[in-house]
Amino acid sequence: MLESLIHVCLAGLSKGMFIWLVASGLTLIFGVLGVLNFAHGSFYMLGAYFCYTLLSMFSDNFWLGLALGPLCVCAVGFVVERFFLRYVYHLHLPYQLLLTFAFVIIFDNLVKILWGGGSIGSPTVTGMAGSVSIAGRLFPTYSLFIMAVGPLVALGLWLMLEKTWAGRIIRAASSDREMASALGVRVPALYTGVFVFGTWLGAMGGGLAVPYVGLLTPGMGEGIIIDAFVVAVIGGLGSLKGAFLGALIIGLLSSFGTRFIPSFDMFLIFILMAGVLLWRPQGFFGEAS
Amino acid sequence: MFKKGLTRRDFVKAGLLTAAATGLGAGVLKPTGLWAAEAKIKGPVKVGYQAILSGTLAGYGEFHKMGVDMAVEEINAAGGIGGAKLEVEFRDSTLKNPEAIKNARYFVDSWGADFLAGVDSSGQALALAPVMAQLDKPLMVTHAATEKLTEQEVFKNGVKQIFRICTPTYQDGNAAAFVAKDLPAMKWATISPKYEYGYTCWGMFKDTLGKLKPGTEFVAESWAPFGTTDFRAHINTIMDANPDGLYSVEWAGELITMMKQADQAGLFKKIKHVMLPVGAAMDVLEGLGAEMPDNIWISGRYFFLYPDNPKNNEWVAAFQKRWKHYPAYVSETGYSSIYAFKAAVEAAGSKDTKAVIEALEGMEFDSPAGKRVFRKEDHQAMYSVPWGLTKADPKYPFKIMGKMVVIPPEECFNRPPFEGAASMPPFKS
Amino acid sequence: MGRYLPYMAFGLLIVLLVCIGLFADRFVLYLTMRVMLLSIFALGYNLLLGRTGLLSFGHAAFYAAGSYGMALFYLHINPDPLLGILAGVGLAVVASLVIGFFCVRHTEIYFAMLTLAFGMMVFSLIWNLRDITGGDDGLVGIGRNPLLGFSIAKDSQYYFLVVFFFALTVWIIHRIRSSPFGLVLAGISENHQRASFAGISIKSYRLAAFVISGAFAGLAGSLGAMLESNSDPFSAHWTHSAEPVLVSLIGGLHTFSGPIVGSVLFVVLREIIERFTQNWMLWLGIILLVIIMGFRGGAMGSAEQYLARWGRKFREESAS
Repeated sequence: MLESLIHVCLAGLSKGMFIWLVASGLTLIFGVLGVLNFAHGSFYMLGAYFCYTLLSMFSDNFWLGLALGPLCVCAVGFVVERFFLRYVYHLHLPYQLLLTFAFVIIFDNLVKILWGGGSIGSPTVTGMAGSVSIAGRLFPTYSLFIMAVGPLVALGLWLMLEKTWAGRIIRAASSDREMASALGVRVPALYTGVFVFGTWLGAMGGGLAVPYVGLLTPGMGEGIIIDAFVVAVIGGLGSLKGAFLGALIIGLLSSFGTRFIPSFDMFLIFILMAGVLLWRPQGFFGEAS
Repeated sequence: MFKKGLTRRDFVKAGLLTAAATGLGAGVLKPTGLWAAEAKIKGPVKVGYQAILSGTLAGYGEFHKMGVDMAVEEINAAGGIGGAKLEVEFRDSTLKNPEAIKNARYFVDSWGADFLAGVDSSGQALALAPVMAQLDKPLMVTHAATEKLTEQEVFKNGVKQIFRICTPTYQDGNAAAFVAKDLPAMKWATISPKYEYGYTCWGMFKDTLGKLKPGTEFVAESWAPFGTTDFRAHINTIMDANPDGLYSVEWAGELITMMKQADQAGLFKKIKHVMLPVGAAMDVLEGLGAEMPDNIWISGRYFFLYPDNPKNNEWVAAFQKRWKHYPAYVSETGYSSIYAFKAAVEAAGSKDTKAVIEALEGMEFDSPAGKRVFRKEDHQAMYSVPWGLTKADPKYPFKIMGKMVVIPPEECFNRPPFEGAASMPPFKS
Repeated sequence: MGRYLPYMAFGLLIVLLVCIGLFADRFVLYLTMRVMLLSIFALGYNLLLGRTGLLSFGHAAFYAAGSYGMALFYLHINPDPLLGILAGVGLAVVASLVIGFFCVRHTEIYFAMLTLAFGMMVFSLIWNLRDITGGDDGLVGIGRNPLLGFSIAKDSQYYFLVVFFFALTVWIIHRIRSSPFGLVLAGISENHQRASFAGISIKSYRLAAFVISGAFAGLAGSLGAMLESNSDPFSAHWTHSAEPVLVSLIGGLHTFSGPIVGSVLFVVLREIIERFTQNWMLWLGIILLVIIMGFRGGAMGSAEQYLARWGRKFREESAS
């Protein structure tokens, strides 16, 4: 029983960290730009496809693919923000959401045209293909790697936002756009920068998903974006700390739920999401308004 | 992006025409020319084909299309169907019922289809039943597997317009049980899709295996929602139950993901008997490649190495030459659906619905998958698909079936009147 | 003259619909019914979105409530079509009252996310309560029994029932929009603080709009169940909620006729695109992009602007 509990826990933690990798970029963009980006799932998908293509070009060197793939997606993110999203910041919510929704449709179909509609089984990572024995049962090495990368990304984001000059400007702009602008911050450029950085995070999530999920399909971003929304919401929209915790909660909840409640379903997770929105919309760390 | 043979000007011209016709014009005027349904025996034979062409399962639609396109090319090169040209149009079925219905109505009422084929989802197939009765054109289902379609709609409700050329859930549930009864496994568990298909197949497997081998235990069930990408929690559930055998009707991409994650968790080291009723699908075999473990029981709706006879081998070679691909099972069912219509029209000497249905009922015809017979009562094609054990073969970059076992459809398919235990295998005679 | 224009347009529309019903072939008839159902869904929805400024991702749940309510009533209680529609709309009203009660506490993105969560709960329930809902297979075998002695079994007969409910919807929504209630909604959307200073209970107005739009979603759903003869679990999925938003946007978010025009364009454009490419979704995405970037008023909004400019120019020219 104990070995089972340990493994259910590990599975939950790795799933949580995996969702966090995607939700972090979504949360950052929402926190600064105030836009909930449906297309973040598409950046995740594009990250996976670019990473896969590049690693196939460089004789299956996963790390090279992971380094270069997300950078290509950043260029896509730049175009989306600079030439489209920028013109709808002042508009009502439906326009912003639908614009990003339009990109979801477009990217899904472009991927289908460029890479084919079929699923692509992805290669394993050299040196991480195997499993290690934990408590008498095997656990994939790569999942351990994901569990390490998640907190590292969180730490990196925290250091960047709290300790660097750029981080201070980002925080200033997200709390009061006009004030920051009056103080001489070039807000539009900053927005572009944050959006591209958020895109990079999403695409990294996609690149890292290649061996984790083991499969690429057009439309693969649509599943993860709902998970990321849930995580971002229960953490308090825009709060990175909250999203990190939210991802852990969702990962563990779905792992334990799947194991111990036979009728477990996303239903419970959506109840949690609604509950948080109703009673603590600012999330775990936000202050009550 | 545009289909071959259409220039931009055609696009604009036809677009305007279509706009006028669909919007207002056709509202008042009876359609003519392009829009008129062909009523005479002469003229092209038109087949409207719908399959999933978007989303995560879009690859299936592409495989359908390869098989169908090949049949059209072959038939037209050889003089068509009874001298008439064969035309096929494709539409994306998405996975939503209203879209499937709209497609069917478009094909028949607007494009003038004589026959319909395709359909991946069971829900869509069931939703189409009353529509086909109304439109009164034959529909050949090439992928949807629900037994309710043939048992309820065709046999009980009398929707005679519907036929199914692929194997139904009997192959996935009952036939699997016939294979499982000879395995030294007494405790079985499942990870299967959390929808009707999963529930039905596991139910049939349990039921039939329980009858064939009393004393068999079914120790764990873990249902994975549509779109699952992380099977680790499900795998834990199964390993905790410590079964001798794992049965799973996961399919397509989700099966690939599950197999990879199960392998990482060491599941195949602990559980020696694994049965995957749709594991022999080409996308799964190619997607897993060498990562598919050896000695897994797999099956499908067709496997390209069975039957090992000239007709099938030549077809596989021709398919490979044409598409640089091995045929997926939907390629075969799509391909054969067109030939089934051809055989029926030529036998009936007409493409009239009633005549074609009569010709199809009980019709025996040869296809790459072997001899098929449409059972008169429920319009289900009776043909055998092997179950086999995976093994590596230097000739292929993926695992193939080594040892094969064939359970004849007469033995494992439910029988009319589909009521009571006597309708379900095992049968006395 | 200008005052009678809407009534004339409405009359013309009905005459056109009747002509289609009398003379068109079966596919055009069917498509027109689909357009009308989508219009009913979107007209109700736009009362919430266009008038009150609330973006819901949960209205597919009310469409499904109508569809399943109708289907269950038909299959288990009484096969009368009118009672069935009443049951469907009733279930949708109850569902939207309960869900709306919670959701109207928030606005903007929080409202959108709450409706998403509740809508997906309904989807999940439909998917999992297999004994009642048929799971992913949905409910099949919904027939069309005579209505008050008139047969509606044939498409050409059922069509006129849809026209009736479509006309009813247009009339009711028009009345609501021009009623004091509708004006208050518009006021809330423009400035909710001022509205609340004026002593208006914002939440109850929002809830009322939410329930009315839910009821029309339910009406569309129950009519849809009869049209397609089945109820579909995916009709409760959040992506289905995006449809009335798209349609309203294409037609014009802030106009009364926007949802109708948008529905026509959405269905007809798709029909045209699908005749030439299987990648119709790609083109839908591009069209959306163009509308959001360049024609935010939608078809009707842009037409109004164009007419206004043309009118001004005309007056200037005739004045000089």
